[in-house]
Amino acid sequence: MTRQAFMARLREGLGGLPPAAQAEIVADYEAHFADGLAAGRSEEAVAASLGDPARLAHELHAEAGFRRWETRRSPSGAAAAVLAFLGLGALDLLFLLPILMAIVGVLIGFGAAAIAIFVAGVVTFVVGPVTGAPGGPVVALLLGLGLITGAASLAALVAIASIGTINASVWYARLHYRVLKPALES
Amino acid sequence: MPEAIEIQLRKGVLELCVLALLAEHDGYAYDIASRLAGAIGMGEGTIYPLMRRLQNEGLVETYLVESPAGPSRKYYRLTAAGRRSFQSQKTAWSAFAGAVEDIVGLNKGGEAA
Repeated sequence: MTRQAFMARLREGLGGLPPAAQAEIVADYEAHFADGLAAGRSEEAVAASLGDPARLAHELHAEAGFRRWETRRSPSGAAAAVLAFLGLGALDLLFLLPILMAIVGVLIGFGAAAIAIFVAGVVTFVVGPVTGAPGGPVVALLLGLGLITGAASLAALVAIASIGTINASVWYARLHYRVLKPALES
Repeated sequence: MPEAIEIQLRKGVLELCVLALLAEHDGYAYDIASRLAGAIGMGEGTIYPLMRRLQNEGLVETYLVESPAGPSRKYYRLTAAGRRSFQSQKTAWSAFAGAVEDIVGLNKGGEAA
């Protein structure tokens, strides 16, 4: 592969990263070619020793996604981490998917339960006192409040478990591309 | 497959080797990559994702040095956190390597290659 072909494939793979990061990565590899040529090696030899540009781009993408999640614990950061994880798209990550799906399913279930309890609490709180609920208006108000706070704590627990799940996936994915993947490909 | 374990070993110690080279003196990526490629047969391309990760984790930092010919060169140096990480990884590695050698028996004058 020529220098030009390598850089073109790398640029293609880097699409979607922040422009500053892309420019820095491209400059790194351009400098590598320049140094290699200055040391008397051919473009093909340097490109071959650098490896597959598409795979390098995948790794850089994944690292950027994980990094975003670690600096900003936001829904968009979580999405970036999940996309980065799926972007690695390798076999041993796919083995993990059924387990992850089960965990995600349970989390969604608990999340739905939290929403349902919250709605029930609001209904009890608002409608209970005026419809003559058993025990009188005060009981209905207190019951409503209790359900709402219960739902909020359940939602908080679901959030904590979701963050833990994403963190564990990121840890595993890093382990994967540092150690497992090169070993599996040999 | 003997090659599989070799590659796994290389990957595992790559970070330690990079930190060790930078502890000796600051360096630029091409120099680090070619020294590691020669010594432990590391793919040169792996150095860049690794350097970005070390930089993200605050173990190394970069600075530019003007070059008489061509664009200025990016040098890497260890941060204080990088030095601490290097010391603890070095200790862990020595203990681990010593224990493995004891078991495998390389230090009893076997077929040390």
